[in-house]
Amino acid sequence: MARMKFYCDPERCIECNACVTACKNENEVPWGVNRRRVVTINDGEEGERSLSVACMHCSDAPCATVCPVDCFYTTQDGVVLHDKDICIGCGYCFYACPFGAPQFPEDGAFATRGKMDKCTFCAGGPEADNSSDEQRKYGSNRLAEGKLPLCAEMCSTKALLAGDADTIADIYRKRIINRSASVMARGVSYRDASFRAPYSAAGKSSAKE
Amino acid sequence: MIRPKILQFDDGDGRSAGWLLLLLILYSLPLDTIAKEPISKDLPAAAVLNPAAELWRDVRQRDQPTTGSTQVRGVDSGVLINAYGDQWRKFRMQQLIPVGGYALMGIVIALAVFYLMRGKVPIEGSESDKKLPRYSTYERMIHWFMASIFLFLAITGLILLFGRPVLIPMLGKEAFSILASACKEGHNLIGPLFLFALILVFSQFVRRNIYQKGDLNWLLKGGGIVGKKHVSSNFFNMGEKTMFWMLVFVGAVIVISGLVLVFPLFGQGREWMELAHVGHAIGALLMIGVIIGHIYIGTIGMQGAIEGMKTGYCDLNWAKEHHDLWAGRAEERGEALSNEEVAQLTHNHPLPSSLGVRTQEAGK
Repeated sequence: MARMKFYCDPERCIECNACVTACKNENEVPWGVNRRRVVTINDGEEGERSLSVACMHCSDAPCATVCPVDCFYTTQDGVVLHDKDICIGCGYCFYACPFGAPQFPEDGAFATRGKMDKCTFCAGGPEADNSSDEQRKYGSNRLAEGKLPLCAEMCSTKALLAGDADTIADIYRKRIINRSASVMARGVSYRDASFRAPYSAAGKSSAKE
Repeated sequence: MIRPKILQFDDGDGRSAGWLLLLLILYSLPLDTIAKEPISKDLPAAAVLNPAAELWRDVRQRDQPTTGSTQVRGVDSGVLINAYGDQWRKFRMQQLIPVGGYALMGIVIALAVFYLMRGKVPIEGSESDKKLPRYSTYERMIHWFMASIFLFLAITGLILLFGRPVLIPMLGKEAFSILASACKEGHNLIGPLFLFALILVFSQFVRRNIYQKGDLNWLLKGGGIVGKKHVSSNFFNMGEKTMFWMLVFVGAVIVISGLVLVFPLFGQGREWMELAHVGHAIGALLMIGVIIGHIYIGTIGMQGAIEGMKTGYCDLNWAKEHHDLWAGRAEERGEALSNEEVAQLTHNHPLPSSLGVRTQEAGK
C-alpha cells in the first residue's frame, strides 16, 4: 500500500502562502484554524529558509498515543485521521504533536477549545466519501477522487510535494543530486555553497545597488 | 541512470569529475570507516552532507529553541518543531498512567489490608451521653462544599486519565466519548470553583492548623497507628494539620496549573501547558491518595470520626481520646451538652452563634 507523505523543499519554498490559502479555501476550515502554515527561519537574513508545515501524518503518531478517547486512526494510505464524533477537544494531541498541527476552534467550556481540527491530507474523515457530513466536518476528500492534496498541487515552485513516500523521496533524491553536481560545477566548496544566487549576482538581482 | 546526469555538470577541466569520483568512492565505503578517517580539507563534501544541516539541527532544538516568523497568527506558530512534546508524551504514557494507576490501587489495597488487620478503631470508653460542639454550620458547609467539588473533579479527572485503558474496553469508544466529553466540560467548568473553596477553607481553618509543641511527638509515635495507645493532640492532630497544609500547597499547584490549562488564551505556549499538565496530574494524584485516607478514617476507619462534620457535635469520649488537649479545655469551659440538648439543637434550631465562635477560638 502507498504511504502518503508531505515533503517541503526549503530550497524551493518562496513563502508565498498559496498552500495555506488553498487549504483554507478547499476545506472551509473554521475561523482561527489554520491547518497549514509557512514558517520562515532567519527571515531577512543570510540563509533564510521557508517551510510549509502541517500534519506530517507520522507513522507512529504521538497525537494518537496520548489521545484519552482514542479517536485517531491511520488509513490504508498511511494518512492519520481523527473522528470528530469521538474527539472531546482536550488538547492533549496539541501538547504531544511536535509540529503544532492540531488546531482548536473556540468552543466548549469558556469557549476555549472545541473539537480538534487538523490537516486530513485532503482525505476527509470516517464518514462516507464526499458525503455532506464529511464535507462539513473535515472538508474536502480529494484522495477519494484520485487527486492529491490541493496545497501541494497548487505549489507554484513545487516545493511542497505530496504523495506516496517512495515517489516523493525519489523526486527529492534527484533534486539533491542535481544540486550537488551544480555546486561542484561552480567550483565552490559544498559547505559554502548556497543554492540560491547571492543578491549581488550580476543580472539576477532586482535590487539596484 | 544517475551517473551520466551528474557528469553533465563537468566543467571540462576534470576537477569536478575528480571530486565526484572521490565522492562516489566515499559513498561506496561503509559509513563507520568514513567517520574514523580524518577528513582532509580538500573534501568538505563528506563532512557536510547538506549545507542547511546545521540550520535544521537548530530547528530540531537540540541546542536551543529556534523560532521563525509566519503569517499565521497564534501562540508558538513560528515554532517548527516542539521537542518537549515528546518528553511530555513519554511522561504521560510511560510514567503518569501506569505508575499513577498502580499507586492509587496500592493505596486502596494497603487500606483494605490495614482494615482487615486493625478493623474499625472504636471509641474505647464507648459513646458517652455527652457531646462537644466541634464544627459550626458554616464550617461544615465549606467543608462539604469543597468535598463535593473535590470528589467531582477527582472522579472526572480519573475518568479522563484512566478511561482509555480501563473504560474503553468496557464501554466502547462511542459511549466513552460521551462520558469523557461530559467529564471534560464539567471538569473545566467546576474546576475554577475549587480555588474559591480552597480560599474559604484556608481562611476558616488556618489558625487551628498551625503546628504546635507536641505535634512532633504525635509524628514520632506514628499517630497511634502502631500500637493501641492514643497520642495526645489538640483540635487537629499532626496528621490532620499536614493534610491541611498539603491541601493548601498542593491544592495551590493544582489550581494554578489548572487555570493555565483551562484558559489557553493568555499567550501561554505548549511548553507551559505541558509543564502545567505534569504539575496538575502529579499534584492531583497525590491529593487523591491523601483524601482516600481521609475518607477511610471518616467512614469505616474510625468510630465517631465523621460525627463532628456531619452534625456539628462530636462524642465527648471520642474527643477525649483523639483530641484530648482540646476536649479538656472545651469541657472546662462547660461546652459539653447532653445528647438531649444536642438533639433539640440540631433538629429544631441552628447552632447558637456563641457556641460557634467559641469552637473557632478553641484551637488557640
